Amino acid sequence: MNDAVLLKSVNKTFGTTKAVTGLDLAIPRGALYGFIGPNGAGKTTTIRMIMAILFPDSGELSVLGHPSALEAKSRIGYLPEERGIYRKMRVGPFLTFMARLKGVPESEIAGRIKKGLARVGLADAERKRCEELSKGTQQKIQFIAAIIHQPDLLILDEPFSGLDPVSSISLREMVIEEHDRGATILFSTHVMPHAEQLCDHVVMIHKGQKVLDERVADIQRRYDPRVIEFDPLDPLADLSPLSGIPEVEQVVRTDRGCNVLLRVGASAPSVIPRLAIAVPPARIEIARPTLEEVFVKLVAA
Amino acid sequence: MRKVFLVAGREFIATVSTKAFIIGLLIMPMFLGVAALVFPRLLNPRNFKTTGEVAIVNPSGKAAEDIRLAFSQERVAERRDALARQVMNQTPEAVRQAVPAERAGQMTAVATAGAADLRLVERPAAADIQREKTWLLEPGEPKHIALIVVHDNAVTAKDGEYGGYDAYVPASIDDRSMNEIHEALQEAIVNARTREQGVDRKKAEAMVRVPRGKSTTVTRDSERSTVRGLNQLLPVAFMALMFMGVMTGGQSLLTSTVEEKSNRVMEVLLSALSPMELLAGKIIGQLGVSLIALGLYVGMGLAALVSFAMLGLVNPILVVFLVIFFLLAYLTYGSLMLSVGAVVNDMREAQGLMMPIMLLLTFPFWVWLPVSMSPNSAFSTALSFIPPVSTFAMLIRMTSTTPPPWWQIWASLGVDVLGVAAALWFASKVFKIGLLMHGKPPNLATLVRWARQA
Repeated sequence: MNDAVLLKSVNKTFGTTKAVTGLDLAIPRGALYGFIGPNGAGKTTTIRMIMAILFPDSGELSVLGHPSALEAKSRIGYLPEERGIYRKMRVGPFLTFMARLKGVPESEIAGRIKKGLARVGLADAERKRCEELSKGTQQKIQFIAAIIHQPDLLILDEPFSGLDPVSSISLREMVIEEHDRGATILFSTHVMPHAEQLCDHVVMIHKGQKVLDERVADIQRRYDPRVIEFDPLDPLADLSPLSGIPEVEQVVRTDRGCNVLLRVGASAPSVIPRLAIAVPPARIEIARPTLEEVFVKLVAA
Repeated sequence: MRKVFLVAGREFIATVSTKAFIIGLLIMPMFLGVAALVFPRLLNPRNFKTTGEVAIVNPSGKAAEDIRLAFSQERVAERRDALARQVMNQTPEAVRQAVPAERAGQMTAVATAGAADLRLVERPAAADIQREKTWLLEPGEPKHIALIVVHDNAVTAKDGEYGGYDAYVPASIDDRSMNEIHEALQEAIVNARTREQGVDRKKAEAMVRVPRGKSTTVTRDSERSTVRGLNQLLPVAFMALMFMGVMTGGQSLLTSTVEEKSNRVMEVLLSALSPMELLAGKIIGQLGVSLIALGLYVGMGLAALVSFAMLGLVNPILVVFLVIFFLLAYLTYGSLMLSVGAVVNDMREAQGLMMPIMLLLTFPFWVWLPVSMSPNSAFSTALSFIPPVSTFAMLIRMTSTTPPPWWQIWASLGVDVLGVAAALWFASKVFKIGLLMHGKPPNLATLVRWARQA
């Protein structure tokens, strides 16, 4: 079986609330998947079912070839959304405790802790109490705890929440390193640009149901809205010649220029040279839809 | 099991290495030590001085001189001294030996210091009692503390019957003052009676007094002076030891679970192990904490018995059963406390759900006296088969003067094991559901529903 995670028609309800409905999901080994959707969409519930912290009411589930994550927990790294840390423990003993729980050989624990801490610039933090660290630093420690056993599957639930931009970039680099090492990565976020920047494939859910499951590049291609962003060289230039091009359906003024909407069937690459001839441009670019726009479009539909 | 013991080890070290645990562990023996030193001083009679005026209406006029003498400061002091010596004589030999002779002398001297400042106000024989009562209520210094009306036949019997006296007192009078007044009047009236009858009071008192016989406790190995009261103290001591052991571990289970939940570390742990492994690890870890507390207190108790040469008075098998019943009680109450910790968000919310558990845990303190006095009554026997109170009830019965038959002990242990199984089953269900729940905590009915549904 090539899928690291496989869900078939999984359902989960809490009382009268349907948290997840008929969810199918297949994450191939070695993939970097984004699991996106607004707050309350069912992402965390799905992840908890994958982690065998919650159990589905119906449907099939397989994780790293096992029917339950309980049988493969030492091969899974998990950074939950509601992540915490033993505040009174020192960083070294906390990571040692987590490494032992994850089955890291005793002889390798110290080395991995040192390496992990050095990687995130916290080489001197081993003796510090966790409560002495900032939230961002604690999050780095939690991430080290999640990957200290070099998992085959890494599940990150809202890993960037609460992080400053510098820490976000650092964490993103570490996620990519884990992916390059060969780990399958599934991370959830409600901040869609994060998924856009990091993932090669996204699964989008809304109200517990999957609404999209596609490669990012394919999504952007499929949902191309036929808009060309055009900023003239002279900010005061007359833009009416653009409307005279037959393929142009509409020209909408923006702060710095305009957005040119093409007619259905028009080819942007063939229109762009003619736009440049009509009005000298400072910038001319095909507008790519964001995942957020795609999501809004899908939900609205 | 490896993960279970990893969790247990962390729980144990995280708890016993805190200052709060060390202070908490030592605070009970310290409190008992301080209580032993301070309470006798606080309750010392020298701290109480009977002061005020006592009006006497003595229509017969007999015993007037005896009354004056009995109310004198010297006589009040002598009576207190006699009382203090009597208390010392009733103290166990080992304790008496531990108190140096000069210290014992000091104790009695201290007891007699500043005994009373009572002024007698003698009223006319034909005084109007109703009017005299109003005197009692008049404010002023010294305070008016009693009006005594001596009966006509107090000294000389009429129709073969002796009378006594009536006492009228204000609402605010202290019982100790009343005792002081009664003892003085009793002494005065008996003195007057014996003199009138031509009887030597000391001889008469000697004739009616039979000293308590020297009691010796005989065991298979030795003989020693009987320590009165020990048989009554033993059940409550064992019960208190078990209570402290269960509370130490149970409370730590509750607080550590609440802390892990509020720190949001639960889900991190659940990524590495199952809820059942986490539950088992926590219970085993805090069991170690409880055993340390129990071991310390039992050790201190045994050391005290050794130092007073009373070790032989405790049957070693009782210590074994203390440990067995402790384990059963800890597993039952600990499981329930763990469940509470798993479903609340902070300690404040835990208080409401802890109330029924604490009522159950403290219930033996309400019933230990009837159970230890009548260990084989229907009430005591029934309690021995109702978990989780049964663990305490059976231990109290076993340490009483009339232990229950062995079949009851084994049957009670069997019931307790079933109780432990039920508590662990309940805890496992509630723990699994409650761990990741935040927001409004569930009530008792919801917990029961969870246990049935999970």
